[in-house]
Amino acid sequence: MSQPSALSATGLNRRSFMTGTASAAAAVPLLGSPVKAEAAHGSGAELRQPVVTSLRINKQSYELSIDPRTSLLDVLRDHAGLTGTKKGCDHGQCGACTVLVDGKRVLSCLSFAVMNGGKEVTTIEGLASSDGALHPMQQAFIDHDAFQCGYCTPGQIMSAIGCVNEGHAQSEGDIREYMSGNICRCAAYPNIVAAIMQARDETKGA
Amino acid sequence: MDAAAPRPKDNQGEPLPRVDGRLKVTGQAHYPADLPTGNIAYGALATSSIAKGKVTKLHLDDARAVPGLLDIVTYGDMDKVEKPKFGNSGATSVGPLHDRIIFHDGQIIALAVAETFEAAEEAAQLIRAEYEEEKPTATFDSPGTATIPAAGKSPLFKEDVKAGDFDAAYAGAAVKIDQRYSTPTQHHNPIELFSTTAFWQGDQLVVHEPSQNVTGWKVELARQLKMDPGKVRIVSPFIGGAFGSKGPMTPRTAIVAVAAKRLGRPVRCVTSRMQAFGTQTYRAETRHRIQIGAGKDGRIAAFAHEGWEVTSRPDSYVVGGTSATGRMYDYGSILTHVSLVQADRNTPGYMRSPPETPYVYALENAMDEMAVALGMDPVEFRRINEPKTEPIGKKPFSSRSLIQCYDQAAEAFGWAKRDPKVGAMRDRDWLVGMGCATAIYPTAVAPCAARVRLTVDGDVRLQCGSHEIGTGVRTVAAQMASERLGVGIDKISVEMGDSSLPPAPVSGGSISTASVCSAVLKACDAVRAKLYAGATAEGGPLAGSHNDELDLADGKIVAKSGASAKVEDVIKTMQVGAIEEYAEFAPKGATPEALKKLYAGTPEFHGGEQDEDSVKYAFGAEFVEVRINRYTREIRVPRLVGAFAAGRIMNTRTARSQLMGGMIWGIGQALHEATEIDRRYARYVNRDLQDYLVPVNADIKDLQVILVPEIDHAVNPAGVKGLGELGNVGTAAAVASAVYHATGKRIRDLPIRIEQLLA
Ligand code: FES
Ligand code: FES
Repeated sequence: MSQPSALSATGLNRRSFMTGTASAAAAVPLLGSPVKAEAAHGSGAELRQPVVTSLRINKQSYELSIDPRTSLLDVLRDHAGLTGTKKGCDHGQCGACTVLVDGKRVLSCLSFAVMNGGKEVTTIEGLASSDGALHPMQQAFIDHDAFQCGYCTPGQIMSAIGCVNEGHAQSEGDIREYMSGNICRCAAYPNIVAAIMQARDETKGA
Repeated sequence: MDAAAPRPKDNQGEPLPRVDGRLKVTGQAHYPADLPTGNIAYGALATSSIAKGKVTKLHLDDARAVPGLLDIVTYGDMDKVEKPKFGNSGATSVGPLHDRIIFHDGQIIALAVAETFEAAEEAAQLIRAEYEEEKPTATFDSPGTATIPAAGKSPLFKEDVKAGDFDAAYAGAAVKIDQRYSTPTQHHNPIELFSTTAFWQGDQLVVHEPSQNVTGWKVELARQLKMDPGKVRIVSPFIGGAFGSKGPMTPRTAIVAVAAKRLGRPVRCVTSRMQAFGTQTYRAETRHRIQIGAGKDGRIAAFAHEGWEVTSRPDSYVVGGTSATGRMYDYGSILTHVSLVQADRNTPGYMRSPPETPYVYALENAMDEMAVALGMDPVEFRRINEPKTEPIGKKPFSSRSLIQCYDQAAEAFGWAKRDPKVGAMRDRDWLVGMGCATAIYPTAVAPCAARVRLTVDGDVRLQCGSHEIGTGVRTVAAQMASERLGVGIDKISVEMGDSSLPPAPVSGGSISTASVCSAVLKACDAVRAKLYAGATAEGGPLAGSHNDELDLADGKIVAKSGASAKVEDVIKTMQVGAIEEYAEFAPKGATPEALKKLYAGTPEFHGGEQDEDSVKYAFGAEFVEVRINRYTREIRVPRLVGAFAAGRIMNTRTARSQLMGGMIWGIGQALHEATEIDRRYARYVNRDLQDYLVPVNADIKDLQVILVPEIDHAVNPAGVKGLGELGNVGTAAAVASAVYHATGKRIRDLPIRIEQLLA
């Protein structure tokens, strides 16, 4: 549903889908509790009414008034000023926007911000400790040159931590498979695998 | 030792970690769309749904009714602006909002600007166009193509190279092949989306946009907007992958600048991944016919390479890789021809090793076929045809270490264990194949400027308008300064990616390391000269010493006699706070206008096959192992070994990473990448990362890069050959060679897919 139609000229993305085709009914199951009632009975116009959303990001509380169609990714970047999380496709296909929500890896472009009330969101900016010491995964990425342009890197690092915590970093083969949702067009893949192997045990405890 | 940091051999620099590594792993490296800009308005593009015809009417009312909509920029709104120009700084001559003619699918028809990204997207999608539609021509073999010779038609392509009497030599050859090859349309798909953010400060325009060419864009954008280039600034501190896609500026930049001016407010437009397929450039599909004739001893007597490339109607983009393929081996006689095939498509553009990727693929696949026809080992076949001088102009190679590359890669790969019989190597349900191919890339260099300041505290500030696209250019520039000024790398700060810095050439053609390091070297040496003058001046701490007896190390000037003086003290005795030098580097053979052209954003390239004294190329050899499932024909590439020689290696870590990335790009070319075209509508079909396949982590297993030592003083003062585009040149042909070895099927059309192996 959220995929654009490759055959239509302009494509149909989830935004036009929600406001246009779907109207309220189809949107309901997608939305979290804060706006559920409003959305359920609303017209397209009301759907765009800003809603106040409380978010916990990197252990800080944010109260934001946002268009309910705003993705978690756009809230991080455009409203919370946390531009470390990157947009590479906006369609859940590249992994650049990966963040941790309650410790699990999530594609923030596929998650409406309003669905994340009450949850703990961790982004790349929240990894290093306040004294500047890097998370072991960050250090490992530097040590193994696990990036070139660095654009996919925040997503790779968040995904790598998620991957380790899921128990999917038992072997190099495992890592290659479970990190394949994060595209690196510079193709630093062997270095990414080496970095995760290095940081794996330390990450489990971190 | 860590694989990412190869131990330096002769003429190779330390594998220092990237100077911007910490920024990149903490999310603090700011790519253009990350740069903070207050009070921003969001832009979204509306694009055409036809490929050829005219826009007769635009319906904007629904879009205008979207709450939060601020403006729509469309036909008529760009009339006071010059149309874009096609060239190194401009992707196309099509001014999409200048007139209502549609040249290709996905052409920009409007920009909607709104308070939020959501509203802008909604509005853009509500813009409806009515068209007078014509039947478009999609690609090769579509009705309506026009075929023209490249030579003479495009300033990008000088001549069809030739030598000797091909016809006679081919007719008389004992063993020959005559085959056709093809490569598909490909899109760069850097992970960073294309974006433009524009804002005005009085009469000055600032643009944040990922760019490989900030100086060229500044000049071209100023021309379009009829402004003084001094009032335009392009800012692009980090670039999220480029591969050529961010070399030429697209028409979007001026449109967003106009929108920002109309609103009196910053406007940011991030192009969707889907829209990028039609609004940016791409690698056009190519076709090749190759004829090779040889004696029974394997010596090639005749080589012909004919190429066809798709381009747009308005612009004659051409890659013309016969220049490299014609110089690869000792052919005897050579005949080449390149044609352009015009279709109703957006204008293609540079994509990582633009000429070599398709043309050398065809050549190397043909070389493998020829080795089979001769019953000869493919490595041996290349060894026999290794030239002493380049076969067209008979000039020497400034250096050529191809055979060393083959020897070292073959050894590491275990080529000797290969059973040459087709289909002879099996591992349970997997057919195993091994293949190899040559990589080649011309070594060019361009003028470049740099500013270096050394302060009394020993801090170094290095400024150069080059671009960090992931190559590590910031790191190697810092290494060069560290070496020449005797200061630690941590004392050096590097500023790049801003058109207000000293100009550097476009970061394309693998020229950046050589050009930037040559300029930094020159600036540092000027700083050294001043320091030495201060130290040896009367009353100076090393008075009486000669400059050529001095060296700089660890913050000290050391004389041959053993006497030394702290840099800090020397600067103090000179009664200044810092020494700053601005250097302009121009390569050997540069014209008197070379530096002027650098500032004008049209730098001269030197090297490759153009120089008088020698031809300059970097070489490599790649070996791959493929495994093909005997039932499903699934193709895996579990092992790759590449050996490359590229003159002085500034940093073995960043060099290895670039070559590794290139080799993996080659896997993409061999097995994954192809933009599918709907021939009826001349439209790209798989316009996203779900259906445009690129290699992912699980596609790559064991990959080894060997850096073969090579010294070449002729290429440039830094002795550096570029290698960012070398790695992906040989891979696809090596895979095709290995697939043949495993299955006996010769696949000539890329990408190689399961269906071709099932038949
Ligand atoms: S931006 Fe979310 S997966 Fe690509
Ligand atoms: S480092 Fe460039 S995309 Fe991964």
